[in-house]
Amino acid sequence: MNQRVAQSSEQILTVDSSEQSHRVALTTRKTPIITRQMIFMFIILGTFPLWSEWVGLYNYLGAEIAIWIIYALGFNLLLGYTGLPSFGHGAFFGIGAYAYGLTQLGIIESVWVGIFVSLLAGAVAAGVVACFISHRRGIYYALMTIAFGQIFWFTSMRWHTLTGGEDGLLNIHRGELNLGLFSFSLSETSSLFYFIFAILMVVTVCLWRLVHSPYGKALQAIRMNEMRARFLGYNVWLIKWSVFMISGAIAGLAGGLFALAQQSAYPDVMNLHASGLIVMLTLIGGGFVSYWGPVLGAIVFFLARDTLGAMTETWLLWYGLMFMLVIIFKPEGIAGVWQDLMKRREKRRLKANGSTENASGEV
Amino acid sequence: MDILINLLPHLVNGLSLGLLFGLIALGFMLIVGVMELINLAHGSLFALGAYFAMTIINPDLSSWGAIGTWYMDLSLGLRYFLGLIIGSFLVALVGMGLEVCMRRTYGKKAEYGLLLTFGAALVIEETIRITWGSGEQFLPVPQMMSGAFIAGDMIYSTYRFYAAGFGAFMIFVVWLFLEKTPFGAMIKAGAHDSEMVRALGVNLTRLRLYVFAFGALLAAVAGIILTPIWGLRPHVGVDVVIPAFLIIVLGGIGSFWGAIIAGVLVGLVVAIVGAYASQWSLMSMYILLIVVLTFRTRGLLGKKSTLEN
Repeated sequence: MNQRVAQSSEQILTVDSSEQSHRVALTTRKTPIITRQMIFMFIILGTFPLWSEWVGLYNYLGAEIAIWIIYALGFNLLLGYTGLPSFGHGAFFGIGAYAYGLTQLGIIESVWVGIFVSLLAGAVAAGVVACFISHRRGIYYALMTIAFGQIFWFTSMRWHTLTGGEDGLLNIHRGELNLGLFSFSLSETSSLFYFIFAILMVVTVCLWRLVHSPYGKALQAIRMNEMRARFLGYNVWLIKWSVFMISGAIAGLAGGLFALAQQSAYPDVMNLHASGLIVMLTLIGGGFVSYWGPVLGAIVFFLARDTLGAMTETWLLWYGLMFMLVIIFKPEGIAGVWQDLMKRREKRRLKANGSTENASGEV
Repeated sequence: MDILINLLPHLVNGLSLGLLFGLIALGFMLIVGVMELINLAHGSLFALGAYFAMTIINPDLSSWGAIGTWYMDLSLGLRYFLGLIIGSFLVALVGMGLEVCMRRTYGKKAEYGLLLTFGAALVIEETIRITWGSGEQFLPVPQMMSGAFIAGDMIYSTYRFYAAGFGAFMIFVVWLFLEKTPFGAMIKAGAHDSEMVRALGVNLTRLRLYVFAFGALLAAVAGIILTPIWGLRPHVGVDVVIPAFLIIVLGGIGSFWGAIIAGVLVGLVVAIVGAYASQWSLMSMYILLIVVLTFRTRGLLGKKSTLEN
């Protein structure tokens, strides 16, 4: 029995150290707030409206991708960094969408207020849920999140007077965005895209900063070994609670933006399928090994939806197969493949350098 | 007293529903117990079984000539029986295929298995959609089991009682199998300490394959029995897998009687809430789950499991 325990913990150690080497290397040095990858991503996404039509895409897709990147980055805080699998995250996305819609339709037509309320609603709902689940981990955690996700989904379907039932809230106007000195209309897709893109930049930088703070390291410590983190004196429950709340708040924010872009809010985004999609998307991209995993995942997912979806009616079948292959052969996802390639190149470069040195030594 | 009499039909309903829930949860429980794997594809295998059976009961044999007419002349009862047997065995084969895909995730985090089966569920559901279309279909039942009867002031569907009886029978069969056969002993031992079982010379790889196939078979049987009641659509799997996992968690992972008790409990709660607030009946089971898990962390009869890490 003892031997088995020792063996399994050893296994955990080796798996984690190989998975972690990259991140540890990043965190031991002082990390800059803005990195090369970040600028690269901002340039690619920021110029999207300029070249989207040229490659056969459309601006709205960019807005959608940006929303889902926000959502996935927030989700990966939970899945990739803390190792907590949440299968009910769609609930907070949906709650954010409803919160945005209800403020616009019922209280005040202001984009800023709506976005703020959706962030707050996501945070409050996630905070409440987290109270029930933060002492759990592993499969039980996943199951509890499924149960809560289903409760929220069900409520949104049934509470007709508030949520409009299965049809949801319709006719949410995009309205004017007030920037103090001037304001501009969001009804045009490109301006909508830039507004969402700006929020995406803020979220990306904030989360990057967060995961490289002591708090972010504590999250990773919990993922690697929760008990050890507890023995080191971290208040594991509080950290797990707060990370779930942050993640839910960002999902709520993304949901609010989704309602803004779609001009409606409906329960479909809250069901188990939608909640599973965000997990798939984060994993395919490689959320376990890289901060940028969810970004890649969101881009690949939406491009797959549009290109495969244009070719066949059954693109979800192919996407599902792709997902299965990723889990079977490369659970580290696209980012994992990329890192392997980089490592191999590095090795080859080192080898080449070594041989030239040797050669020069001989001469 | 009045309340009790009013409640009685709902209790009967709830009990029959509970037995059916128990039937759904059985295959799920086997796989969770032995392989410590949450099989999210359980519901899709359930649906797949029902679709296979439907095709076997009412196949399109117009191009087959004499054989086709001969087959269609067989009584519905016989064809139903054939559908039940062949359909569930085909699904067992699919289950075996899935288990082979699964092998690379063993020994890794439990979430990988969960995610892989989620992907498999998506693939199976889409395959069903392509093959049989996304509309609502109908699984015929033999004449003698269909229809309705009246008892007291309530109308009961006859089929429901046959289904509940069959559910109870299947539960009994699985119990016999687990408790009274050497194979069952191996399964239970494998769930308890897989390395020891391997050391004793049991081929664990093959055991897992068979257990998965058996679990898939039970899912398909449940599907064939239940879809005449619940209707047959490609996404019926999602409606099914969630109650199944919920019952398992509620009963305690790896506990046979826990799953049965939880199944009956969920059935009763759903039926009673359904009697007074029908819209919220499905929601009540989630609330039940959260209440139970908040006070009993491992479910009603659960033991410690490696899934918690």
